[in-house]
Amino acid sequence: MPPVGPRSGDAIFANVERVNAELFTLTYGAIVRQLLTDLEEVEEVNKQLDQMGYNIGIRLIDEFLAKSNVSRCVDFKETAEVIAKVGFKMFLGVTASVTNWDADGTCCSIVLEDNPLVDFVELPDTCQGLYYCNILSGVVRGALEMVSMKTEISWIRDMLRGDDAFELQVKLLKQIPEEYPYKDDE
Amino acid sequence: MYCNRLYANKPELAASRIDAIGYQVGHQLSERYTMERPRFTDHLDAIKFICKDFWSELFKKQIDNLKTNHRGTFVLQDNRFRWVSRMSLDPSENGDLSQENAEAAENKAVQEPNMHLHFSCGVIKGALHNLGIACAVSADPSQLPACSFVVRIKP
Amino acid sequence: MIVCVAVVGHQNNPLYIQSFTDADDALKLHHIVHCSLDVVDERVNNPKKSGPTLNETFLGLLYPTENYKVYGYLTNTKVKFILVTTDLDVKDADVRNFFRRFHAAYVDAISNPFHEPGKKITSKTFAERVSTIVKSFGMSSTG
Repeated sequence: MPPVGPRSGDAIFANVERVNAELFTLTYGAIVRQLLTDLEEVEEVNKQLDQMGYNIGIRLIDEFLAKSNVSRCVDFKETAEVIAKVGFKMFLGVTASVTNWDADGTCCSIVLEDNPLVDFVELPDTCQGLYYCNILSGVVRGALEMVSMKTEISWIRDMLRGDDAFELQVKLLKQIPEEYPYKDDE
Repeated sequence: MYCNRLYANKPELAASRIDAIGYQVGHQLSERYTMERPRFTDHLDAIKFICKDFWSELFKKQIDNLKTNHRGTFVLQDNRFRWVSRMSLDPSENGDLSQENAEAAENKAVQEPNMHLHFSCGVIKGALHNLGIACAVSADPSQLPACSFVVRIKP
Repeated sequence: MIVCVAVVGHQNNPLYIQSFTDADDALKLHHIVHCSLDVVDERVNNPKKSGPTLNETFLGLLYPTENYKVYGYLTNTKVKFILVTTDLDVKDADVRNFFRRFHAAYVDAISNPFHEPGKKITSKTFAERVSTIVKSFGMSSTG
């Protein structure tokens, strides 16, 4: 039965088929470690994680739109809210909040107080420049790009570096006009 | 959740790396899932643990069939292996992509099941190694969605 | 009071050892831990019928010295946990409870993706958790 109206992130999270939480966390950790072994430079790992996230983001958006039943968001502000409240809950199982809007509504922060990716993780001294969760910034960037919003994303706070939360700053660079290749056939 | 995709989106990561990633995960999980149980008495005991408890934790089901030649080779068959059955039966997985990605998706469709199998083999190998059993693990996906894992214990 | 805890790898390589005394007896405690490893090996290879059940991770009292009692635990992955205490009247249940919590802390520590198997455990979180578990030893029977 197709549900009527938008569904909450909780409801979707409860219904989708999920892998075991420890498997998810440990696999992500093993991938990051493998990238460090292969690429050696922390900066390169940050880039690679972001790129991987981007590739996931541009695919996740379809699943997100299909499962969440949210209607097309009217502006950046609404989109950011939906990503934080529904998107993060749906795919990561945690709720994020949106704060720190600037005056013209083109820059905000997504704040995560809880993040299953970092359970068990302690950065060694040699990896202090690593943005361990950089995949998340890529996912958000990729997903937003698929709904015609080009953004720049950077970490403001990171619990692995001793901060009290994770904070992603999302800056809207430009909104691409609505002629994106959303063809039903092909 | 969507951890499968994390590496599925990264076909450049060669099979050996996927195997290594699985190995680390299996190594860690075997410590966790054997926490409250007595030590295993022999290889069969440990293999049974993989078939029952370990598999249940990961896939919410047990291995369906276990065979052995009694000379150190074990064949573990899952009649509906979740990671590959999902791939082959879920059309949305590769649909709805914009054109730029169509080609990448095609490549991926070929590679994904293999990547999942390399990962699974790594997990099994890592878990058994940590339990003191040196072995080689390979997968036989010729009867999808059933999948067999062959464990050869090193003498 | 617990004076020393240790984690020892399957080739008897020390992975973590921490003493909890003000006195300068770390060396002596390390020696005690070292000696206990042989007892663990012997206990595992020749299980006594009267001892704890066969293949149980908890190995019980390894040996009493004049001033200490030494307990052992062996995981399925052949990692040894050693506990040295000055309490002479120790409840079995308290020791079992200690090892259960200690094992859980150990599992989380080795789940850090940057931890290398077989290498020393350098995690600060682990050290803090162990210290908490040590302090609450024998205080109550909380899980």
